Amino acid sequence: MGKKKDDLVVVKNSTPFLLVLPALVVLVSIVGYPMFWSLFYSLHNYNPIAGAAQFIGGGNYKWLWTLPRWYNSLRHLAYYLFVAVFAEMALAIALALILHEYIKNKTLQIILMVILIIPMMLAPSVVGILWRFIFSPFGGAINAIIEGLFHRPPINWLGEKYALTSVLIADIWEWTSLPLMIIFSGRMSLPESVYEAARVDGAKPGMILTRITIPMLKELIAIAFILRFIDCYKFIDKVTVMTAGGPGEASEVPSFLAYLIGIKQFNIGQATAMSWMIALGAVAVITLFMRFMKQVLAASKLH
Amino acid sequence: MNQKQIKIVKYLALFLLAIFVIFTLFPIYWTFNTSFKTMGEVNNIPPTFIPKNPTVRPYVAIFGKKMATKAIMSSFIISVSSTILSVIIGSLAGYAFARWPNRAGGDNLSFWILSIRMFPPVAAVLPIFFIFNLFALTDTYISLIITYLIFNLPLAVWLMMMFFGDVPVELEQASYVDGYTPLRTFLKVTLPLVKPGLVSVTILCWIFSWNEFLFAYVLVGSRVKTFPLIFPALAVGSTNYWNQVCALAVLVIIPPIVLFIILRKYMVRGLSLGVVKG
Repeated sequence: MGKKKDDLVVVKNSTPFLLVLPALVVLVSIVGYPMFWSLFYSLHNYNPIAGAAQFIGGGNYKWLWTLPRWYNSLRHLAYYLFVAVFAEMALAIALALILHEYIKNKTLQIILMVILIIPMMLAPSVVGILWRFIFSPFGGAINAIIEGLFHRPPINWLGEKYALTSVLIADIWEWTSLPLMIIFSGRMSLPESVYEAARVDGAKPGMILTRITIPMLKELIAIAFILRFIDCYKFIDKVTVMTAGGPGEASEVPSFLAYLIGIKQFNIGQATAMSWMIALGAVAVITLFMRFMKQVLAASKLH
Repeated sequence: MNQKQIKIVKYLALFLLAIFVIFTLFPIYWTFNTSFKTMGEVNNIPPTFIPKNPTVRPYVAIFGKKMATKAIMSSFIISVSSTILSVIIGSLAGYAFARWPNRAGGDNLSFWILSIRMFPPVAAVLPIFFIFNLFALTDTYISLIITYLIFNLPLAVWLMMMFFGDVPVELEQASYVDGYTPLRTFLKVTLPLVKPGLVSVTILCWIFSWNEFLFAYVLVGSRVKTFPLIFPALAVGSTNYWNQVCALAVLVIIPPIVLFIILRKYMVRGLSLGVVKG
């Protein structure tokens, strides 16, 4: 189909590329060049305060993979990704289908959507601060509710044991609505005739869900899943604001560690090596995302 | 399943939905609640769920704080400038990708541009900080305006490509037959048709730059401050003026929410990178 459009010869051959060029120049100079710069220094021992850069080859990468703190941050990230993404996706799928199936009043549907979308519109630093306030061990709202309802002693939410989980809860609060909206819109666009046919054939509700709804939405679910996965993978702002990686290293994730070592300690070689490892991990996930994206777009061009 | 079981499932489902709506609303309600309290009441243990002596003093105090009003102004200047740049540059590229995909650079180029949007910001922020430092550009408006293009431009290119792609080629062909030049066709025929798309891309880019925290935290902070930066500053220290923090939060979350409500349909498409047709 691309070919057909290209046949629309009304502009010079070079014009389309010239239109893309400004975007390309900007992106190459603010992403391409810095990434090259960072690759270069990741092979050096470089701290501008300590002195000039020294070439040390893969030294920084070797250092990184022997650093317990790095492994620690990877473990935190794995926990975060696993729990947050799965919780968000499970909630999103369930709530999107519930919203479609049981809330028949259009106005109510819209009101609920708007409410659910509010958290996504907030600045991440505001979200972080508000949750820090709500989780506050002394006089925080959550502890007040726990004490009032269950008569339990207050929990130190931002302490060593629960810090990462608290950030995770804030993330679920902020971002569940994104996959929810994607899946909800997808469900809205499924043809009603399929469901009628299934009902005529006497299909049970459980079968309709597992044999029709979920399979027909699977690409959209995949896209929503990867979008959340990549966002959680690279997230850093809520950790910075809510816990600053702490207490100690209890809620440190790789991105935050790279930030600390680079911007706070000026160990540029080590920090850039770290950020390259983070970037490579992202590339793998992004490639997967693009595959699904191409599938969905190709399918949408068919009708 | 018999009728009774179906009913039970329905009530369980609605119960889950209700719980989640309460979970979503609670922090927002709590922010409003706290923003109308006096400091004495904020420090009450246990906290009160409705302000006993509602006051607007926290709001007055925020407007009286030069730091806060200046930060909101800076945020406004930076986010609007970056948005305008993204939308202009992004529309040109998006149009080329939609109309002449092969001659504009092909699928691989457009997908590469989209992939930048998902790239971990920390990988870019380190080198950018040191490069800007070299040119004495840190702590300036321009540093953030440029840097925000990293995530805004890919979004603008990609979404404008989708919106332009929805405009039937036949309309443009008809206009060429009428003797319009390509530029005139673009301005008079195509652009008016993608107006909703243009508006939603503008708003989305604006919201993302308005809310952005990490780059601002690293690149500016002493002379130039955006509003997301002053939250941690207000909430740290021996005296936590939580009522003022909440008042400021209420003030800065209103514009994005209002815009979102008005443009809800198009925004959903934008947030899902064009996957959902809203």
